[in-house]
Amino acid sequence: MDKSTIICRCEEISYEEIEEVLTNGATTFDDIKRLTRCGMGPCQSKICHSLVASMIHEKTNTPYFQIPLPRMRMPLSPIKLETLATNSTSFSSVKSVMDEVELEDGKVR
Amino acid sequence: METDILIIGAGPAGLAAAFEMASKGLDVTIVDESITMGGQLNQQTQVIPSLPSSFQSMRGFELAAHLTKQLEEYDIRYLLGHRVIGFYKDGSVGITDEQDVFAVKAKKIIVATGAAENAVAFPKWTLPGVMTIGAAQTMINRDFVQPGKEAVIVGSSDFALDAALQLSEVGVHVKGFIEKNAGILSRDLEKIEQVKKMGIPIYLDSFIKEARGMGAVEEIEIEIGTRVLTEKVDLVCVDGGRSPILDIFYQLGCSFGYQKELGGWVPQYNHQFQTDRQDIFLAGNAAGISTQGVLLVTGMLAGINVCEAVGAITKTIADEEKDFLWKELEILETKYNPNIWEARNRHMENFAHPVIKEQFLS
Repeated sequence: MDKSTIICRCEEISYEEIEEVLTNGATTFDDIKRLTRCGMGPCQSKICHSLVASMIHEKTNTPYFQIPLPRMRMPLSPIKLETLATNSTSFSSVKSVMDEVELEDGKVR
Repeated sequence: METDILIIGAGPAGLAAAFEMASKGLDVTIVDESITMGGQLNQQTQVIPSLPSSFQSMRGFELAAHLTKQLEEYDIRYLLGHRVIGFYKDGSVGITDEQDVFAVKAKKIIVATGAAENAVAFPKWTLPGVMTIGAAQTMINRDFVQPGKEAVIVGSSDFALDAALQLSEVGVHVKGFIEKNAGILSRDLEKIEQVKKMGIPIYLDSFIKEARGMGAVEEIEIEIGTRVLTEKVDLVCVDGGRSPILDIFYQLGCSFGYQKELGGWVPQYNHQFQTDRQDIFLAGNAAGISTQGVLLVTGMLAGINVCEAVGAITKTIADEEKDFLWKELEILETKYNPNIWEARNRHMENFAHPVIKEQFLS
């Protein structure tokens, strides 16, 4: 494949950039992520992880069943901070932390 | 909020599972990020081949309507337009209605999150006008928007052929199929014949060398063996196959196994469609990519197993229903592709002895 081909479209990481870190010893998606920002955009690797897996497979001859999935974190899809900071009082949340911040003359104390 | 059963995903498998459980008197809640029920079926205007014996032959969106209608008489809680964003320490599910986030505590959860389409990369594949076949189908059949005028399809699966036929129907000129393998992937001889009759060329051993265009795709170069063909197109529909959507299983700490035929990494599950987290069951494409008929059966099986697990039906009744459904699943899946049925069995056998442990702590 042409080396300039974009693999991670969110962070615009090219084939060449991933190839380089694979040459330098990266073996998993998370290695590549930490070194290049591949998979750290809004899609959180939902689009590029299979492309990266095939690159790992090709470049390192690792069978697919030995290439682990990228780590998936909460929130599972993008959410507004305002929504995450829900006003529900029945359980602890970001909002309850925010409620403890008292505003005074427009300043955060 | 509390519920007996939470079903994540209102596609064919989730709705089939809901019917099994609601009809046995269980308190069921269904959550889906879409505001409509039926999942991808809503975009599928093609006749769905080989449905379970209790179903008449129908089109995808008709099946969605049928599955929705059979739930009408039951008191099911629908959380449509809601997303699962994560899990709390006590095991309750964090769900958002886009205003607030609230916790739902369920005795059992059936995860039927379905599948996602895989990307296909080539130089300039990020140009507007390049999209998955599913996206093109959604634009035509749900949004009534023509996604382009001159198109090529990358891939030759059943879904790729369906997309091509539907694009042609709405006046898009399909200039060819680009298949990297040496043969057509679809096993539907009738559909292949239909496509050939329309005069759409199928290029085998071929791939897109490059897409070109300013701000949108205007032209592509197709490499076919030793020759290169340039086509003017404003739409490239790519079919990279599909894989189970796993983020919820990952959050729940489920283990996974790799089966190429089932779409790659698949959560480990046993014959009860139960994951290694005892209260978490699964169904549909999340349990391995298959046909719509099979997805329905996996939903029914998961539903019955949950009913049995919570004591809503006796083991004798459950076994009888399950025997019948497993036979049906075998018939439907073997007829479609025996390799998938074999992979599913291998996968379930691996449940007792997972191949690799701790593989995800990277």
